[in-house]
Amino acid sequence: MAARNDEDLALSRRAAAGDSAAFAALVEKHERPLRAFLARMGAAEIADDIAQEAFLKAWRAAGQYDGIARYSTWLTSIAWRCRLDELRRRPRALLDQDADHAENHAGAEVRDMLDRLSENERASLVLCDGHGWTHHEAAELLGLPLGTLKSTVGRAKSKCRKMWSEAGND
Amino acid sequence: MTDEFDDFLARTLGPAEREPDRAFVARVQSQIRLDEKLRAERRNMLSVLSIQVIGIAAIAAAIFCLLRAPEIASFAAESPAILLAALLAAFSFVVLLFSTAPSPKSSPPSISIA
Repeated sequence: MAARNDEDLALSRRAAAGDSAAFAALVEKHERPLRAFLARMGAAEIADDIAQEAFLKAWRAAGQYDGIARYSTWLTSIAWRCRLDELRRRPRALLDQDADHAENHAGAEVRDMLDRLSENERASLVLCDGHGWTHHEAAELLGLPLGTLKSTVGRAKSKCRKMWSEAGND
Repeated sequence: MTDEFDDFLARTLGPAEREPDRAFVARVQSQIRLDEKLRAERRNMLSVLSIQVIGIAAIAAAIFCLLRAPEIASFAAESPAILLAALLAAFSFVVLLFSTAPSPKSSPPSISIA
């Protein structure tokens, strides 16, 4: 994990010095999980816009990445703030209207479940159960106390389990 | 049931395996180039503006000092219309000077999305 941070830190420092190729390497490495997370949070098209905005802000703030947290955690926190700004500009209902529904049955099923969760429940479940984030990392991102985050994940999971059972999956 | 459900969550919530999206990387790079160009334009405009503000302030201060001179003060008291005309002419000259001065790199940025 430290080696990965070191590599990302070196790339970020080079990006801060104006090396766009180094930043392109960071984008290439981190775009997949970031866009997947944002797509699970709302419409895919808007997710890509938010991801682009987040990368642009990460480029401008490249010198501020200190390598203590994972680069993906730092980047996702930027994207999360971008998403919150987007939510303030456009209500969630509008963001979800354009959602790309071209996905398989399981994808559609999980999207339907996530749609019925709150913003924090959705984000914490996707990060902890889908992306392998620790509770501590997710709590920091969402600005929640660790205990609250754990109960949010638990509540989100039990809601989804109930919906999954009701859909005849047990 | 729990195992199946956990598998389902991990399978559907995690990022799908795929190659890096080079088109997306190119889009981000193009956006960064555009952003850098706009920032350079903004810096340039600010420097031109600050030079102009300093110039106008210097001229205003010079006029103020001139008007405080006893000879000019007495002339202003005798014929304020002429003094006003002179000030207006000086102001028009300054406006003309700044409005015709070419600003470096004034071409609009070209937008290219890869």
